Amino acid sequence: MRFGIFFELSVPRPFSPMAEYTVYANALEQCRLADELGFDFVWAVEHHFLEEYSHCSAPEVFLTAVAAQTKRIRVGHGAVVCVPEMNHPIRIAERAAALDLISGGRLEFGTARSSTWTELGGFGADPDHTKKSWDEFVRVIPKMWTQDCVEWQGHSFTMPERDVIPKPLQQPHPPMWVTVTSPGTELDAAERGLGSLGVAAVSYDEQERRTTDYHRVIKNCEPVGAVVNDRVHTMNFMYCHEDYRVASRVGLPMVATFNTLNAHLYWTREAHATDAYPSLGNLGQSLRLAANADDPSAAKGLPEGLGIGDPDHLVAVIRRWEAIGVDGINFVLNAGEVVSQEDVLGSLRLFASEVIPKFRSRESAASRVDAPTTLPEGIDPC
Amino acid sequence: MLTGTADLSSLVARLAPPTIPAWDHEPVELRGVDCLQLVAELRRPAREVTLPRGLHPTEPPALIIQAWKVDESVWGPFSICFTRLSCRSGVRARGFTTACVSDNDVAGDQLATRWGFPNREGGVRLRTHYDACELEVTVDGRPILTIAGIDPQALSTGSLQYTASLNLAETPNGLRLVQVEAAHDAERVQRVGGRITSFDAASWGDNRLEPYHVVATTLARDRTVRLAPIRFACLPEISAFEGTEVIETNRGNHE
Repeated sequence: MRFGIFFELSVPRPFSPMAEYTVYANALEQCRLADELGFDFVWAVEHHFLEEYSHCSAPEVFLTAVAAQTKRIRVGHGAVVCVPEMNHPIRIAERAAALDLISGGRLEFGTARSSTWTELGGFGADPDHTKKSWDEFVRVIPKMWTQDCVEWQGHSFTMPERDVIPKPLQQPHPPMWVTVTSPGTELDAAERGLGSLGVAAVSYDEQERRTTDYHRVIKNCEPVGAVVNDRVHTMNFMYCHEDYRVASRVGLPMVATFNTLNAHLYWTREAHATDAYPSLGNLGQSLRLAANADDPSAAKGLPEGLGIGDPDHLVAVIRRWEAIGVDGINFVLNAGEVVSQEDVLGSLRLFASEVIPKFRSRESAASRVDAPTTLPEGIDPC
Repeated sequence: MLTGTADLSSLVARLAPPTIPAWDHEPVELRGVDCLQLVAELRRPAREVTLPRGLHPTEPPALIIQAWKVDESVWGPFSICFTRLSCRSGVRARGFTTACVSDNDVAGDQLATRWGFPNREGGVRLRTHYDACELEVTVDGRPILTIAGIDPQALSTGSLQYTASLNLAETPNGLRLVQVEAAHDAERVQRVGGRITSFDAASWGDNRLEPYHVVATTLARDRTVRLAPIRFACLPEISAFEGTEVIETNRGNHE
């Protein structure tokens, strides 16, 4: 089991340069501590215009700072929006390769297509085409990383023969992932040999079904890149405290804040009828199927298996996730800064001292984080 | 997080909420319904000021225009057009109704007194063709909305999901946002290139409404639209988490 931390960079109102500075500074401090404590991944999303929910519109910049301030933790671009109006694929390949070099070969490369009208509409992107452009990008980007010369004539872009430089440090190239919210996307990942990066909380049963299907399909995948990444990670929330009641009192408001901000996003399907987005966002199926689906007083239900509690509870929860085939859990540590920085850091320390050792040895926490890639000789993996 | 900032008394003065004298009523099924929906982004100054404090705006703010041309109902055939502001009630996606025009007195009265639609009598003409569609809404013979749609493209019937409406109404419980749930059984859905060619904002509830950027327009043919009895009513100035009342429709007037 691997452990990561996951950043939306949520900023509470009222907005000010200091508010955003503080969120970024706190997040970087959390990354440095997580690195020292033996966490394995730090992931940062790419979102645009999502006020309060996520001010992480330039994750490559944030992650470059993370790479420069840490030694071992892997740097997760989670995920780059593969929509040409937002990111040209050549620029994606260039930036990612540079980040892999700067991090000493620690890049994990996530891909996504954006889910909100706020973002797609802001860039003038057509929701009907995002799945196509995502599929095109995930095929061409590994070529740009591994081939001296790439020519492309596709749906969303064309390019004459060029050598896209720099090349990444990891060989053959950084592991690739797909963010998974809607049911079925895990199969898109599996068919292409890509890791499944869960970014929406799901039930144990749903995750077990997805994980089983994913592993069944990926055995016969046609990888889009030169390496298969068959890992399944999920997203969760973390607040760890010796006293379960304190953990609940501090941690659950953070979960509620995150969920409410998430539910307030203006999802693509709501504004723009399309076959390409199957539901009204992350609220999705579980909420619609619930008995209280239409009751406005019902908060978005708390997901199963939350990482909120005392260390023993968290160990039990993680064992359950582990038993259904999850390889890694990436934890949201805060939302809207409702948890103080001191409490976030304390939670990380307690988790690292009491929970992580139950899942692996101290030696392994000091070695290179497992990845389906290699580094050139002479590179210190930590 | 953002919440509406509209002063309730001003809102009441502007929207003239209808009265729902009693809760208990039956569902109504409308048969053979052409349903046009146009979603347009609004200018940002309208984001918070147009919503009551109990609701949360979306970013960007958006106006949802719906028009129904109903072939059959217990009130006879009729057409209706209403405008809603995209919002959240608690964590639920909703539309806050700002105005409504219908061309059938009986239907308009029933929709007002049973579901809280702020109905006015007027003309609603939704015309559909193989290549285009048009909507014209008039009050006192004066056009207050015209929409032109061209180049229909078929979508799957599952591609369209309407949000429930919140209608401000005087109810047996007091002034409330009543949640109107309309279940559409679509047999055909098309997306059309829609354009608003005239829009009189004041006639649609607030002269600050400026639908300047059309997001998408759909034209659906519904076998039926079923209007369910009201199940939830929300206090307009309190978050739905605390201010929601469950309406027990089979027992009369209860919270």
